[in-house]
Amino acid sequence: MILEFERPVKELEARIADLHRLAGPSAELQGEISRLEDALESAKRRIYSNLSPYQRVQVARHPDRPNFRAYRDALADDFYELSGDRAHGEDPAVRGGFARLSRSGHNVMLIGHDKGADVKSRVKGNFGMAHPEGYRKVRRLYELAGRFGMPIVTLVDTPGAFAGRQAEERGQAWAISEDLMALARSPVPVICMVIGEGGSGGALAMCAGDYVGMLENSYLSVIAPEACASIIFRDPGRAAEAAAAMKITARDLKEQKIVDEVLPEPLGGAHNEPDAAIEAVGETLGLVLSELSDVDPQTLMKTRYERYRRIGAHAAAGQDPALS
Amino acid sequence: MHRRREYSRSVPETESGLGPMDSVFTKCEKCGQPVYEKDLRARFNVCPHCEFHYPLSAPERVRLLLDAGSFEERDRGLVAADLLGFEGYAEKVEAARKKTGLDDAVLSGAGEIGGRRVAFAAMDFRFIGGSMGSVVGERVARAIEMAYADGLPLVIVSASGGARMFEGVYSLMQMAKTSVALSRYMEGSWPYVSVLTDPTFGGVTASFATAADVVIAEPGARIGFAGARVIEGTTKERLPEGFQTAEFQREHGMADRIVHRLALKGDLERLLGFVA
Ligand SMILES: [Zn+2]
Repeated sequence: MILEFERPVKELEARIADLHRLAGPSAELQGEISRLEDALESAKRRIYSNLSPYQRVQVARHPDRPNFRAYRDALADDFYELSGDRAHGEDPAVRGGFARLSRSGHNVMLIGHDKGADVKSRVKGNFGMAHPEGYRKVRRLYELAGRFGMPIVTLVDTPGAFAGRQAEERGQAWAISEDLMALARSPVPVICMVIGEGGSGGALAMCAGDYVGMLENSYLSVIAPEACASIIFRDPGRAAEAAAAMKITARDLKEQKIVDEVLPEPLGGAHNEPDAAIEAVGETLGLVLSELSDVDPQTLMKTRYERYRRIGAHAAAGQDPALS
Repeated sequence: MHRRREYSRSVPETESGLGPMDSVFTKCEKCGQPVYEKDLRARFNVCPHCEFHYPLSAPERVRLLLDAGSFEERDRGLVAADLLGFEGYAEKVEAARKKTGLDDAVLSGAGEIGGRRVAFAAMDFRFIGGSMGSVVGERVARAIEMAYADGLPLVIVSASGGARMFEGVYSLMQMAKTSVALSRYMEGSWPYVSVLTDPTFGGVTASFATAADVVIAEPGARIGFAGARVIEGTTKERLPEGFQTAEFQREHGMADRIVHRLALKGDLERLLGFVA
């Protein structure tokens, strides 16, 4: 899939490839080729360093963007998957289990939304939109991690919790709320990384912890920009405006002190160079885990309490906003 | 966000939403019977003919549930700060403040129910659809913290279309804020009672409104995560009659009791008699 704003880059790449084919071993076209390569490099820089918030949302949704599976396979040398909510069923939209991180050697509870690898697995995982049994499995794993003193690492990548009849019948709201309560009282470090889409409550259920990092082109939002546009502007076509107005990019959220760190992506976005993006996440996880693993449960919970307690855009009448 | 009822869209200024305050009588939207506005007010917006529960404002909720004269409002004067500069938001807040006389979509403080002191918060759907922004999150969190500090039972009455998207991710984070406060409170042995009223959706349902020891719902109240219109839009599914009503939620194991509004105070007194 080629995004609209990527087209000039893709066209240049295609022409360079053509010329390489035509030129063969001869040096005749080398001048033209290197001229185009320079043009390609500067086009990439120009385009990708000036992405609008909504263009970043499109990058975050790119089907080739590395997702939970890619991170799990690259970062864990053992992933011992655990399934089921012990009440209703197993939801493949979200996966979790014990993982040994190969880079740092840490044992963690690794949990992530699973957007799948191909059409079949994408459909099976409901495109990363979990049902209540998914969130209840997650709560079970949060508690398991707490029992074994194992840090929790979440990889967040969902358009949102699923909005459907059965999800409502089984208490979607109740399940998400239980996750938030479980995270609040977890005695182990909770490390959250938004690797793609951070859609609303379905993302937050796995994105409230002691450290929250975001890849440069990921987003975190209270509502999908399209839905916001159709409610507020009465026109889903104005999603780009809504995305800008709600300030949902990684950099915006760093500024709002809601996330700790923005992880730069390779030029052209994580889907252009998945290995580099995964490596960056792996390295950060190792550092954060080392930093937090010696912190005692009381301090962790107290710091987490204060972290979420202070977030807000409110003021006592006639005063400056009470932001820390 | 949940869309408000059609009838209250056209005439949102009165308590019941049925007609102008000075009109002598109006027609019940549900049963079609003529209703005197003053009768409706005397019954806290419950139709005397068909018992349909119309929305109730937060100040009226205080009058309904707390012992007369016992309510002490806390955290008055906390207002939305519009840090994002979202187009039209400041005006919307100002208009809602004028219309309701409230600072935001929640009224909170301490009061007594049957002589028992409680921490109390009630949401008001008239204020931008009862949406949860930073002020709602902050006042709910402070009410919970007061209950924790003073060792009080906690009663929260919800009515909300969901998160307040004009505040962007700040509004989403109010779910986390209220959850950390509630999680600490619930390590103690004081009771938290959540009363769900029409409508309660989105971020409010997915955080403090459902994480209670006892969940009570008003008859017919629509309660859920995603609104029916959103679900029909995304899944093209025809939803069954009574979908997401209080009765539906009780049937699916999500609510403990359905209690008529005029019996609610007595019901809470009985409950607190057991657990407070
Ligand atoms: Zn009636």
